[in-house]
Amino acid sequence: MTRAMSDLGEITQSLVQGRAQPVADLTQKLLDAGVAPQAILNEGLIAGMAVVGERMRSGEMYLPEVLQSASAMQTSLKILKPHLVKEGAKPLGKILLGTVKGDMHDIGKNLVGIMLQGAGFEIVDLGLNVLPEKFVEGINVHHPAVVGMSAMLTTTMLNMRTVLAALQAAGLRSEVKVIIGGAPASQRFADEIGADGYARDAVLAVHKVKELLGLAM
Amino acid sequence: MNTRLDKALNLEPADGVPFLPAIYEHKAWFVGETPSKVCRDVNLFTTAAVAEYERVQPDALTIGIDVYNVEAEAVGCRVTYYKGDDVSTPAIGPDGAVFQGSSDVSSLKMPDPKKDGRMPLNIDVARRVVQVLGREVPIRGAVSGPFSMASSLVGPERLMMLTMIQPGLVKDLISFSAEVIKVYGRAFIDVGCGVIIFDSQASSELLSPATYRDLVLAPTQGIIKYFQQSGVRHVPLIIGGNTTPMLDAYLETGANNVLCDAKADVVHFLEKCSKARRSFRRNLDTSDFLEVTAKQLRRRALKTLKESNSYPGFILGTGVVPYGTPLANLVSIRDAAREFREKRK
Repeated sequence: MTRAMSDLGEITQSLVQGRAQPVADLTQKLLDAGVAPQAILNEGLIAGMAVVGERMRSGEMYLPEVLQSASAMQTSLKILKPHLVKEGAKPLGKILLGTVKGDMHDIGKNLVGIMLQGAGFEIVDLGLNVLPEKFVEGINVHHPAVVGMSAMLTTTMLNMRTVLAALQAAGLRSEVKVIIGGAPASQRFADEIGADGYARDAVLAVHKVKELLGLAM
Repeated sequence: MNTRLDKALNLEPADGVPFLPAIYEHKAWFVGETPSKVCRDVNLFTTAAVAEYERVQPDALTIGIDVYNVEAEAVGCRVTYYKGDDVSTPAIGPDGAVFQGSSDVSSLKMPDPKKDGRMPLNIDVARRVVQVLGREVPIRGAVSGPFSMASSLVGPERLMMLTMIQPGLVKDLISFSAEVIKVYGRAFIDVGCGVIIFDSQASSELLSPATYRDLVLAPTQGIIKYFQQSGVRHVPLIIGGNTTPMLDAYLETGANNVLCDAKADVVHFLEKCSKARRSFRRNLDTSDFLEVTAKQLRRRALKTLKESNSYPGFILGTGVVPYGTPLANLVSIRDAAREFREKRK
């Protein structure tokens, strides 16, 4: 095993442990040693977040630990980003996220954003309590491949239907894939409102987005 | 005293299964108004609560519409209310959090239930509802659990991070919250109500059972003990989501009835609760309550009732009932429970 491979493995491990400083230090060390930023992203950070996602699904990690890993990833991404830009690296795709109107819960949506970013996607987060017209505006401005809507309440979940109607009315529905999630949401509800997909958790959201975009899993 | 509910809580054989739907923001529907309006108007709120009781006939009534906001708002958090005919539920967004400090919680003021925020309004509604319905009806004032209240004080995501990086501060925030909850709950007790505690932010959907045990369990035990010593025999603790992984700690809180939400493992709850001699409420999933027919819900309720395996501590409930759910849907579940009772006799 080369030194660089060992350091990439260490980034993955430190990321899973949520240790931001070692992740940042190793990122800089690898860049200084001439390792490609894309390799650090793919083999260090994305690999680490994949482990985090699986551990979250299996109940070995919970939200606080996942957030800490995400924070470590962000620290490294700040260092990597200028190098990635210089290298002309492209994200897997752009995802527009938002919690629908009337809903002030954003932890689930943020978690999906973290996992998608950790998988190599670019995230545009519209925040919470997002009006349908803001989703339309977001698509017009950012041209995402996928729109992800979240709702935590049975009542606000119904506003996902309104967003889809707004996209249809704006002539944008065929331009984006739409996935939904949140505690009360279901595949049945996604089918009923005409969304392209539903994900029960953040890890499945990554799988679903990749599936919708025809990307290899 | 509601014998049916009381017997279930005491695990005694009764004439049937109590029905406790989770009606909070939907209360406003009973008076044709929005949750934002009703939760700030003592007359509308009282009328709505009484109408809910008379029309749905649950086995207990909860005083609360936006149940996680009241204590935090009284401490200084900003609640977002909705205007016009918007039926969204008032909530505290991440930017409404009052605690921006990094270590010292002494800046937080202990609220007075007679003066601060909507605490006096909620207490007044409870007092009026007790007057109208009488003390025979179990009426419970909704209070936050300590982790959920701390979550409102600092913002949910920040609190989750703090559990990892500053657990001492989290303990302080939870301790402060616990004292607020005791004071607020005591005010409900003083007007003749029981209390019901909601702490879904502490669910094992989000927080590990180990973290719950380290940070939340002892303060929760303290709150429940305090309410019990204040004369409330049965203190429910409601934690939503799949709480199967944390059930041992959940039962150690001392709550004599707990929630087995629709996502949780009912077989596990039956086994653990019967050993611990606790009652539990099994929820029906409410995500499609606005779309399904009363007949479909009746079938679902009967299926859930069969899962109870005739455990005497079984209570039939629902997740949070969406605003605008047709009355017939709730009545069909209630009637299913009544039919089931007759079959059990």
